[in-house]
This record gives sequence, C-alpha cells and structure tokens, in this order.
Amino acid sequence: ACSVLVMAEWCEPVGRVKGVLLDICGVLYESGDGGGVPIVGSVEAVKRLKEANLKVRFCTNETQATREKFVKKLQNLGFDITVDEVFSPAPAVCQVLKERGLRPHLLVHDGLQPEFNKIDQSNPNCVVVGDAAEYFTYKNMNEAFQILMGLEKPILISLGRGRYYKETDGMKLDVGAYMKALEYACDIEAEVVGKPAAMFFLSALSDMGLEPDQVVMIGDDIVYDVGGAQQCGMKAVQVRTGKYRPCDEQHPTVKADGYVNNLAQAVTILLEHLH
Amino acid sequence: MSTRRILKAVLIDLSGTLHIDDTAVSGAQEALQKLRSSPVAVKFVTNTTKECKRTLFERLQKLSFDIHEDEIFTSLTAARNLVDQKQFRPLLLVDNSALEDFEGVDTTDPNAVVVGLAPEHFNYDTLNKAFRLILDGAPLIAIHKARYYKKVDGLSLGPGPFITGLEYATDVKATVVGKPEKSFFLEALRSIGCQPEEAVMIGDVCLILPISITTSARLLLKQINIKGFGIVEFRDDNALQSNLPHSVLYQS
Repeated sequence: ACSVLVMAEWCEPVGRVKGVLLDICGVLYESGDGGGVPIVGSVEAVKRLKEANLKVRFCTNETQATREKFVKKLQNLGFDITVDEVFSPAPAVCQVLKERGLRPHLLVHDGLQPEFNKIDQSNPNCVVVGDAAEYFTYKNMNEAFQILMGLEKPILISLGRGRYYKETDGMKLDVGAYMKALEYACDIEAEVVGKPAAMFFLSALSDMGLEPDQVVMIGDDIVYDVGGAQQCGMKAVQVRTGKYRPCDEQHPTVKADGYVNNLAQAVTILLEHLH
Repeated sequence: MSTRRILKAVLIDLSGTLHIDDTAVSGAQEALQKLRSSPVAVKFVTNTTKECKRTLFERLQKLSFDIHEDEIFTSLTAARNLVDQKQFRPLLLVDNSALEDFEGVDTTDPNAVVVGLAPEHFNYDTLNKAFRLILDGAPLIAIHKARYYKKVDGLSLGPGPFITGLEYATDVKATVVGKPEKSFFLEALRSIGCQPEEAVMIGDVCLILPISITTSARLLLKQINIKGFGIVEFRDDNALQSNLPHSVLYQS
C-alpha cells in the first residue's frame, strides 16, 4: 500500500489529470508475426479510462503500416481505438513536406507507402526514413545515401529516432539506428518527426484541448516516451512491459514520475486518485 | 633537444603508394629495392577489409614487388590479433574473401562482433543478430569506420555508418583497429619488435608516429626517392594532438 501511494505522486493534485496519452507498442500490445499479442490487462485498461471520462489519445511512432491498417489490427485484438485518436509520424510528416515544398525519396516499409499517395515523389529533394524493417536492405540504404549525397542541401527526415523495440521474437533495431547510419555517412543531422519531438506531443494535447499539466503520458521507452513527454511539461510513467529493461530505472538523465508493472496497474492507480 | 636514434623500420602504405589498383606506382619497385639494400625492416600496412593477405600478396608479386607475405599487416590482421589476444568467439560481419584471415578462429556461440566492409551482411536480420549480442555485453570491434568507398558506378556505404548505428542502438563504443587509430601502427611495429621512435611511415595518409632519425638515415631516405610522396616526421606527441597535416621531411 505504501509503494502505491508513492507511485501516485504523478496523479497529484487530485482532479488535475483530465487526459492520458498512451504509447502503443509495448504498452497496449507486443508486435510480431501473426499481428502481435495484447499485453495482459491492456484492453480492459483502455476501456476503464474512457468509462472514467478521461480524454484518451494514442501517441505512436509505428511506421510499418498506415494508421488505418494499424488501428484495424488493434481493433481486431479487442482495443477500443479509432483512427482519429491515433497520432503517428506519417500524417505529421506529410504536413511538413507540404508546408516546405519537399518531395521525398522514401526509405520506408512497403506498408507505409499509401500514407504518401498524395505526395509528389518525383525528383526528390529530401529523404524520409521510417521503420522499414526488412526493407532496410544494403541496396535501399545505399540508394537513400546516394540521393542525399547528390543534393546541394541534403535533408534527412526521420520518423522517430528510437534505438530498438521489442517484438514477440526478440529485440530489433529501430529507425534511429538507420537514421544515425545515414547521418554519419553523409555527415548531416536528421530532423525528427514523431516522438520525442515536442511538436508531436503538443499536437495530441491540442487535439484534446488540454494543457500539459493536465495530461499523463504512459510509455515503455524511458527516453523517447517518458523523457520526451516530461520535456513538454507532462508527467510521465514508464511501464515494465515492452522494451523496458531494469537499467531504465537508473537512467542517468531521465527519471520517470512513476514506474508501474503495466498499463493496467497504471490505470488502477490513476482511477483511485481521480476524486 | 630530442635524442637521435637509429632508423630501424619503415612502414609503407599499399594502395596509393606502391600501387593503384593493378598498376604499380611509377618508380615504386626500384625504390623498394633500394630500401632492401639497407638494414631497415619493412612492413606494408593497409586498411583493406575485403582482401585477405594472400590476395594482396599475389597482386604485389604480379607487379614485380620484392615482398614477403608476412611483411603485410592489414587492419584485418589487427582485428585477428585482438580476437586471439582476448580469446573472443566473434560473429564475423566480414566479406567472404576476408574470412581466410580468420581461419582457425572459433566462431561458435559468439561473444564478440567484428565488423568490416560486408554489404551482404548489412541487412536487417544480420544487423539485428549483431545488435542483440552487443546489447547482451559482446564487444564491438570495427576494422575501420570509413563512411563510404568509391565504386565504378558511384559512392557506396562503408562499414562506418552501420557501426555507428549499432553504437547508437546499444550505447556501446566500438573498438576501431584500423588506420588511423594509433593502436594499428603500434601493433604493426610490435610485430617487428620496433619502437615508434625507430620508425618512419611512407604514405599518403596523415601519420602519427613520433620519430627522430639520424643524419645517415635521412640520406638513405633521400635516396629512396619515391615520386610524388612525402615522408612524415613528427618530432613529438603534440603533433598528434594538433590535427596539423603531416609535415613533410622532403619531397622528391
């Protein structure tokens, strides 16, 4: 009981929290072959949040599929989630590309391509890199590299900068590793769209009509979910599922406002302290 | 006032200094012969990651260079020495043609990762395999960290970018064994039992050995007369820190 009280500091003061931002991979479910597996208690947890009249949005760096396909997959796993509630990098980057007149060469997963159907990709003047997974072949990486080297002003936009994530069959390199590879090869710095860019979190907050101090972020990545959200003024909690590793709790620069076993426990604690 | 020592060894770069692809640099064969008539030890050093010693040796023989296979010291040799020293069982992300230089190394149940120029291994699945080993504590050894190399049809990604990606993902720093790491040159000299102060390097790379040599050695080197290249001399370690381009002793 004592530890539950300590953990609840992130819910204080009572009545403050009006909305929750949820990471998806590692919090709601674990991705992998066959569509992935829900994390125990997560389906129920999302329902409970909505029944408590809290605003819920999902903040994900998922870029292997379109939002529509991704949400459909989660709905099939039993989650109460709609496309409008999901904030992912692809729609955000399309906005950026339009605003700046950028025509991208895409180094992304095949499944993400449809998000860019309305974007002019002829005569590219930038490279957009996402979690291409098995599409990160040497040939594809080289093509992106050669295009960047051929540009007078090389622009590399990365959809997130995560280091790795956990799937059902083990840990895998995330887009950040490949972003770093291209940065080093071309001696440039990438721009990041998606977590932990402040813009990304703030667009979700704006959609909820809430201030940062009224929202709690729940994620499995101590740096990019928790740290990123804290930098925007939100309280943030790390779950011990997904890519979590015990050493995360002694991270040199990021201290989560709470560490919980999983989303279900986070929601239980939160709801106990709402009124 | 620096002490003068006798010149005992000469390190000679290969690609760009003795030969360019399959053509000998003009005058290089004669220069080497002159060098042979003096009592200095010679070591040929290179950063290749794709070719094993035997392949390099055969190419130089074809170009009529007077050379022994065990005088060749490559960044692969440096990696092999390190693996042997620490008794690592490496996951070898190296080109098939370089595997010969790792013959005899136990690669079962790997507890280290060695990365060279190996485009066929720079794919998602193999890099994930390497990543997991390093995340679990396996050291990452980089033959070198070149950003890219020139091919006939343009630039191609070198091992550097992929090593950097692995370093970022695991928060581990790679041990780089090739040029221009100091350890590469020291290891090359160790293999001929020489101190840095007793050696010079001839090549087109900025070099890194503090040396002072006798007047007679200077005259000897002057006779060697390799066209178009300078000899590097650094009088002390400060040159190492200062990032100055090499100071040329003389140039033919």
